[in-house]
Amino acid sequence: MDSADVVVIGAGVSGLSSAYRLAKAGRDVVVVDKGIVGGEASGRNGGMVSERVDEPALIPLAVEATRTWETLADELGYPTEFVQQGRLQVAVTEEEMGALHSERDNALRHGLHAEMVDPPEIRDMIPGITERTLGGLFFSKGGHANTQLAVQAFAWALQDLGGRLYQNTAVTGFQVVGDRVTAVETTAGPIAADMVVAAAGPQTGLMAGLVGVHIPVAPARVEILATAPIEPLTSIALVGNGLYGHQAVRGNLIFGGGAHEWADVDLTTTPGKPNTPLIRSIARRLAELLPEVADVPVIRSWAGVVEQAPDYMPIIDILDSPSNYVVVTASAHGFGISPATGKVVSDLVLYGETNIDIGGLGLGRFANVSPNWRHQRGWIPAPNRS
Amino acid sequence: MVVGAGAAGTAAAIEAARAGVQVTLVDENPIGASMMALDVPQFFGRRAIDPLPARDEMLERVAAANSALAEAEEAGVEVQLGTSVWGAFRNSDTSRVLDGPQLGLADAERSWMVKYDRLIVAAGARDLAMSFPGSGMAGVMGANGAHALMRRYRTLTSRRMVVLGSGDLGLNTAAMAQDSGVEVAAVVDVSPSVRGDEVLMSRLRATGVELCMSHTVKEAVGSAGEIESVVLVEIDDCQPVAGTEKVIAADAVCLAIGLVPNVELLGLLGCDLAFASERGGWAPVHDDRMRTSVDAVFVAGDAAGFHDGMVLDAEIARNQGRLAGLAAAESLGAIDRDETLARRSELQAAAVDATSADGHSAWQRWHRSLVNAGGMNVFACPCEEVTRAEIIGLQPPRYLGLGSEQASRRSLRTQARNNPVNADQVKRLTRAGMGHCQGRLCREQVSLLLAEESGADIADIPVMSYRPPVRPLPLRVMWPHDEPEQVRSEWPKWFSPTHRVLG
Repeated sequence: MDSADVVVIGAGVSGLSSAYRLAKAGRDVVVVDKGIVGGEASGRNGGMVSERVDEPALIPLAVEATRTWETLADELGYPTEFVQQGRLQVAVTEEEMGALHSERDNALRHGLHAEMVDPPEIRDMIPGITERTLGGLFFSKGGHANTQLAVQAFAWALQDLGGRLYQNTAVTGFQVVGDRVTAVETTAGPIAADMVVAAAGPQTGLMAGLVGVHIPVAPARVEILATAPIEPLTSIALVGNGLYGHQAVRGNLIFGGGAHEWADVDLTTTPGKPNTPLIRSIARRLAELLPEVADVPVIRSWAGVVEQAPDYMPIIDILDSPSNYVVVTASAHGFGISPATGKVVSDLVLYGETNIDIGGLGLGRFANVSPNWRHQRGWIPAPNRS
Repeated sequence: MVVGAGAAGTAAAIEAARAGVQVTLVDENPIGASMMALDVPQFFGRRAIDPLPARDEMLERVAAANSALAEAEEAGVEVQLGTSVWGAFRNSDTSRVLDGPQLGLADAERSWMVKYDRLIVAAGARDLAMSFPGSGMAGVMGANGAHALMRRYRTLTSRRMVVLGSGDLGLNTAAMAQDSGVEVAAVVDVSPSVRGDEVLMSRLRATGVELCMSHTVKEAVGSAGEIESVVLVEIDDCQPVAGTEKVIAADAVCLAIGLVPNVELLGLLGCDLAFASERGGWAPVHDDRMRTSVDAVFVAGDAAGFHDGMVLDAEIARNQGRLAGLAAAESLGAIDRDETLARRSELQAAAVDATSADGHSAWQRWHRSLVNAGGMNVFACPCEEVTRAEIIGLQPPRYLGLGSEQASRRSLRTQARNNPVNADQVKRLTRAGMGHCQGRLCREQVSLLLAEESGADIADIPVMSYRPPVRPLPLRVMWPHDEPEQVRSEWPKWFSPTHRVLG
């Protein structure tokens, strides 16, 4: 039987970052994925990186991740297109202004690099931005990266260390003896494993179900678009007018936002990721935010399926039983924090604990979540009218 | 809704309208100057007169180029020219917010959505582009781009043309050029003899056109970004023979090697596509009534699959259009069963799908010879300036300036050890196909390159996905002037759920 010290399920950014760290620590690692490297949300998100403060439980991971991003491309040996010129959140309503002030207070309490900026300063930072901004909050350590290049960088660096990557290989079950997984069953045959890391994103709940454990996550489809490349406008990651995004190094504006749609996924096929006419509303908001680029053509849009826990926060924990099964899923925060996620998961696999504070991210917080929670919240797909 | 007012689409619209169906026929022609400059949707090669005639004049020329349009209007069809279809949306497992399938339409100023009961896609075909040194200069164009400039717009500025491809497409293009007052210097093909119609060939030969068989293009030469001559070289088994180069003066080189069915909208709708060499590569699966795999969606004409035989016989496309119009009308209950059966057997008796076998093997020979003669440092993706070598080396964009030893060891071959070649993955890593032409100028040559390098059959390399908008659409045009107030007021902060806002 094929075997490995650690089988990582999921070739997204969380799984590959974890696998890379484990391989670097000398472990024999196999990564399996039903699709290809970065084929889902990891390779198709907005590429935002920051020391987030709207969710305090994320700050330790986000700070560690931001520090790691700075040297990641050199460490991995492959480009990530990480650009660290800061992240600016602008307010266009009084309500948003209030939220920025409280976020700033939060940031200062945690010793983060954040400062309020006024409209003239904003216009210096982002030439041509709407006159409607009332103010902004600037995180100097924020930035953005190229999602596909970064995920592939982790995958290639893993392979350079001897790690194995089985793409187009779906997990179909687990062999469990006592309270331990002994092998992962896949469409390419079973793989004996000492430890399992399930970094299965939207499939996290289904995957845990195979070992009889309930983990509450709900998949959802979200949308984003890209314009043709334009002259350099800004290197700052920008959040405002209901959108988030950045200008890629090549020059394309890449912005997403708006309503998402709850979806269902399965363990063997890749989910459909269509766009909807929502992209017109994203285009409008981008033209409102940056009026001087209104003539620039949109040339592409895409969608991705992400997962959400009931509190919109990542989950990183070791199951009680089977006790060699580590869960990591990021509730759509995954890309930015991925360099830290890998370190934390690697620590959990190697030592059973980590120095980075992941106190708020354990499974214990869902002790009272009903198995029927998605229905209760309405986090389920609409009836199919097609 | 019928998309495309060529022979097939117009025939489809007339057939359905005569059966009593309310029909709208949309067509993006005349293309505006800014899109033309970007080679969207055809490979125009920047050889239209500048400035173009006024828009009203262009509209008149487009209408005049298709006499059946007047017939369609008489039959009650609403004809909308200058209207592009940039999106097609319907519900699926992971997208259930729409209350019916719909198209995104746009003119030069604004966009809007249109719901349909039945959709006939008769969107034609686009030019098969292939690169050679100098092919980025003005004057290098495709057959359909040249046809549009000559016949539909009457705005071609070329005086002396070299045509690549000696099938019916190439010979017809050469003859059309002559009829439009353009001198045709040569017709070139990698094949040992002319592949197309003998009558046309005789006519071209009699008028002094040089037929350069077993030749390929080594390079195009020019100055100030304008082509002035083309260097041909004789080939032996796709390899250039040294010392056989010849220079032919020309201000246009027209790629008439093949046409590719316009399947973007069908791709967006999830219609099954299959690689069929004899039908122009990736073409929609359809039955003998022109129904696709998706309910309520029909195809006709070049979009349903293009082969050389369709160049000289427009009746094939028209018959496909009539069949599609009839099937759409029948499915709407607009026409009774006996009448339908009689009409269908009448149409099916006529030739509707006389395919030719040659197909993409001609593409492969052309591509191989161009690679051998032009080398690997030619941009296979002209918009993003990605060379053939960079594509098969899976190299990150040059502008990142981060070439590492590890990265230089990576290639399509090392990647292929782990998984089948995936054109979308190659696109995201190298940017080939990510440019403003939306992949029109590189899809096929990238696929040919990947097939050649990996040893895979081109049919086994999944087609790069299609995403809306399938035409470059300025933000201010995409802007939804019809946006419901609810979408404004309920626009979520990051991840506050609402899926009832789209309507």
